[in-house]
Amino acid sequence: MKLLNLLRLPAVLASLLAPVAVTAEHTSNWAVLVSTSRFWFNYRHLANVLSLYRTVKRLGIPDSQIILMLPDDMACNPRNAFPGTVYSNADRAVDLYGDNIEVDYRGYEVTVENFIRLLTDRVGEEMPMSKRLLTDDRSNILVYMTGHGGNEFLKFQDAEEISAFDLADAFEQMWEKKRYHELLFMIDTCQANTMYSKFYSPNIIATGSSEIDQSSYSHHADNDVGVAVIDRYTYYNLDFLETHVREPSSKQTLADLFDSYDESKIHSQPGVRWDLFPGGERGGRERLVMDFFGNVQNVEVDSVGNATEFKEDLLALGKKIAEIRERAEAQEAAKKNLSTPEPPLAGNHKMRKIRAAKVQADERSWGKTAVGVWALAGCSLVWWFGSHLESAA
Amino acid sequence: MSGLLSSGSLLRRNPRLLQVPPYLSFLCIAIGVAWLLLLPLDNYSRRTYISENALLPGQVHTYFAGSDQNVFRGYKREVDELVEKSNAEVNDKLEEFFKASGLKVARQKYEYRSAGETYSGENVYAILHAPRGDAEEAIVLLGAWTNVEGELNKSGVALVLTLARYFKRWSLWSKDIIFLITADSRAGPQAWVDAYHDTHQKGIQSLPVKSGALQGAVVIDYPFDHRFESIHIVYDGINGQLPNLDLLNTVVAIASGQMGIGASLQKMWQHKDSYKDRLTTMLRGMMNQGLGHASGPHSSFIPYHVDAITLQPFGEGWEDEMAMGRVIESTFRSLNNLLEHLHQSFFFYLLMQSNRFVSIGTYLPSAMLVAINFTIMAIFLWVKSGAPSTTNSKVASTDKKSGPLSIIQEGDAKALIPKQILEETEREFFLPLAVVVGSHFLGVLPLYLFNHTPEIMLPSVFFIFAIVNNIFPFLISTALIRSFNPSHQQYQLIKAFSLLFLGMFLSSLATLNFSLAFLVGLLAAPLTYVQSFPNRPITTTLFVILLSLLTPTTVLLASSFYWNLGVGEVLKEAAFGWDVWGMNTQVVVWCVWWPAWVVGMIQLAGKPRNEKPKPEKAAVKS
Repeated sequence: MKLLNLLRLPAVLASLLAPVAVTAEHTSNWAVLVSTSRFWFNYRHLANVLSLYRTVKRLGIPDSQIILMLPDDMACNPRNAFPGTVYSNADRAVDLYGDNIEVDYRGYEVTVENFIRLLTDRVGEEMPMSKRLLTDDRSNILVYMTGHGGNEFLKFQDAEEISAFDLADAFEQMWEKKRYHELLFMIDTCQANTMYSKFYSPNIIATGSSEIDQSSYSHHADNDVGVAVIDRYTYYNLDFLETHVREPSSKQTLADLFDSYDESKIHSQPGVRWDLFPGGERGGRERLVMDFFGNVQNVEVDSVGNATEFKEDLLALGKKIAEIRERAEAQEAAKKNLSTPEPPLAGNHKMRKIRAAKVQADERSWGKTAVGVWALAGCSLVWWFGSHLESAA
Repeated sequence: MSGLLSSGSLLRRNPRLLQVPPYLSFLCIAIGVAWLLLLPLDNYSRRTYISENALLPGQVHTYFAGSDQNVFRGYKREVDELVEKSNAEVNDKLEEFFKASGLKVARQKYEYRSAGETYSGENVYAILHAPRGDAEEAIVLLGAWTNVEGELNKSGVALVLTLARYFKRWSLWSKDIIFLITADSRAGPQAWVDAYHDTHQKGIQSLPVKSGALQGAVVIDYPFDHRFESIHIVYDGINGQLPNLDLLNTVVAIASGQMGIGASLQKMWQHKDSYKDRLTTMLRGMMNQGLGHASGPHSSFIPYHVDAITLQPFGEGWEDEMAMGRVIESTFRSLNNLLEHLHQSFFFYLLMQSNRFVSIGTYLPSAMLVAINFTIMAIFLWVKSGAPSTTNSKVASTDKKSGPLSIIQEGDAKALIPKQILEETEREFFLPLAVVVGSHFLGVLPLYLFNHTPEIMLPSVFFIFAIVNNIFPFLISTALIRSFNPSHQQYQLIKAFSLLFLGMFLSSLATLNFSLAFLVGLLAAPLTYVQSFPNRPITTTLFVILLSLLTPTTVLLASSFYWNLGVGEVLKEAAFGWDVWGMNTQVVVWCVWWPAWVVGMIQLAGKPRNEKPKPEKAAVKS
């Protein structure tokens, strides 16, 4: 039977597909770093974000792939005793503002609307590339937020707030639009863990600084600047990143990072959410810190030519076969009046990823052929003309 | 039955119900006073806290020390040399100092006239423009040349000069800082603030240089050389207005939290945190608020919604002038952090310790209850005045068949009711209204008299007025009886209108100046029970004595005796308050309290006309 033959095919293809599944890693890293509060006494929130900005830059994410949102300018605030600087530590060893900083959204541009538009890429044509999150389904994104929040909301600029539902829907839209591969959501605010409680899109690991009804606290104040300069949760995250993740080749995992949280130091109960991630907690814990905080190391070279075309064809074929087989199995199962066992999340995930693979069809092949023919004809004409001259001489 | 009971006309004539109001209004007064006495307890007062996030009190290191102490000593010596100099010479020197610190300097001459005296002087001030700020807002550091007691504020002025020089070195100001040295503590600050807001009277110069909207003012009153123990904070404004509680909390937090210097209020040099000490502090605060006078140079700022306080070091301790300077420095750093006007915390509060207060929601019912007692009585009298004078309550309640009956219908319910109950006699309005309105207008007379008499004549005018005051109601009463022969109903109406007005006025005043409303309410409380007792001379005499003790003039005399002040002095201060500060306590005293008292006396001296159907006395008694 033809169908039986087809059913046997996937087994053959499996060996071919396997390397593809393994290399289905991310190919780019992006970071969205948001402070949501303005005013001098919220100095620490901007310092939080800026120190994280510095860290991800240190670990290799270029400015072009960092979206930095700062609602206020602490460096130029007249109250700043050290004009033009922002420090996140009372020792004032590192000026976070420095001379190499690229703020993408500043002042009153930092709004809930702009933030959601940024995530979902619903922006006008006039929006410059530097202010867009140009991610695809192979991008890993780190989303870090800090500000004043409450149960299932985060205040933006004293004027509006984003709810946990808005954020969850924005991430779902990103997933539907294939705008991320994996996402690490990190938030430092009061009752932070409520902010990720509504997420329902796959491939997200979320962590926050405090449980519901818990406040997040500042770490220490700089008595010359006159304000608190950093929050506890962010401080200990940075502490880990700076002491353990020293170079981009670091093999520290998220497990190491999350296990380093010490409630007695943070003064609130940090939370982690794994259930949306393929492989759950076990899968997530093995992920490298560098998968989110640093830039991608292994580069996938797009080879041109028949080899890939063939692979892609096979892939498409395999996909179709798998689908048919699944349908046949489902029918069979229905006949036997047995409910199909639920496929494991990981398998499901793999399926979706395969579907997500792009087959690029060259629409301008005729044009290219014409150009080739013309070039060939031109060459032979030159060669003919040359030989004609030679014979004439 | 319920239909019957709910019938208003029946309720109005219910003899049992008609007995309630006098007791009810007495209960109101008693509860009102008891309420106030409960406030100092832990369960009713709260600990203070900082509401404004931006203030961040005590979070900065202060650097006012070291060589600045030498600068201070230098300025101190210069100030000591100016002691005997004239105002203009002093200001020449001060101007020189400010200019040497690199500040823009200006001067302002002022002249006030009150109670036949002239108060003139010249203020000098310097503006430090915020190096990176936008000049939209400013804070004021004030040191008066002489303090409220008339002492030379030598360390205070030297400290202002030193701090001006010191602040100029910082580049972190977001608001301009105005250093103001006024010629005195009473007229000078008022002239300056008025001129700053362009509301000054003639005789006061406009300010040649100004800055942005004032966000706060801190006054240093430091008239001695030696070291001090702790800081006394004066916060009462004119007419009982108060600065935002956050400002006071900030200074207390900085002084006690950061610098380890105690803070005390209302001249409570020792505060053991006992019930008695708390109550005393609160009552002293209420007295200052009720009088509505300026308790320091800061008071003039408060009516302009500029939160201000005066800091007075006191006692013998080991804190030196630099510690005082650091408290000011830290306070200014906090004020500098402000993003908008102080608005988060309370504007209406009673303090019973530097870190314990009650807010308006907790204390207001006390004054309201006292005020409501008048209103209850007024309504009661109105209802009673409508009853026919022949009505004997016993007839109405027991002997149902004695009179003609009428049918009352309410919904489906019908009832037979003695006609007497439903009868309503016509109320004769004109005379009662004329008496009450007339006496209130008469209040303008003492108001004008005491605010415009020259100082020398004030005591004699006062004593003449006090004597006339005690005879005058009897004269009026006799004249009334002679020419109009008012009926019992008319007397009731006179009292009803008078109490109604008093009750309404005091309950609205309670929200603005709680203490004044409470004090006047308490002093006027006996008026609720005053009426003519034609055949009871002893009761009448007792009431006359009581009322004579509680007349505004006697109270004024007694309190000036209690505080060891001459009557002339008190009246001069009151006239000064009226002319310079825009104080309006006098209006309350002479145009509200005094007329009510006069009407009360007229009642006592009154003799209701005898009407033919006799049992009038019974009605009066009920």
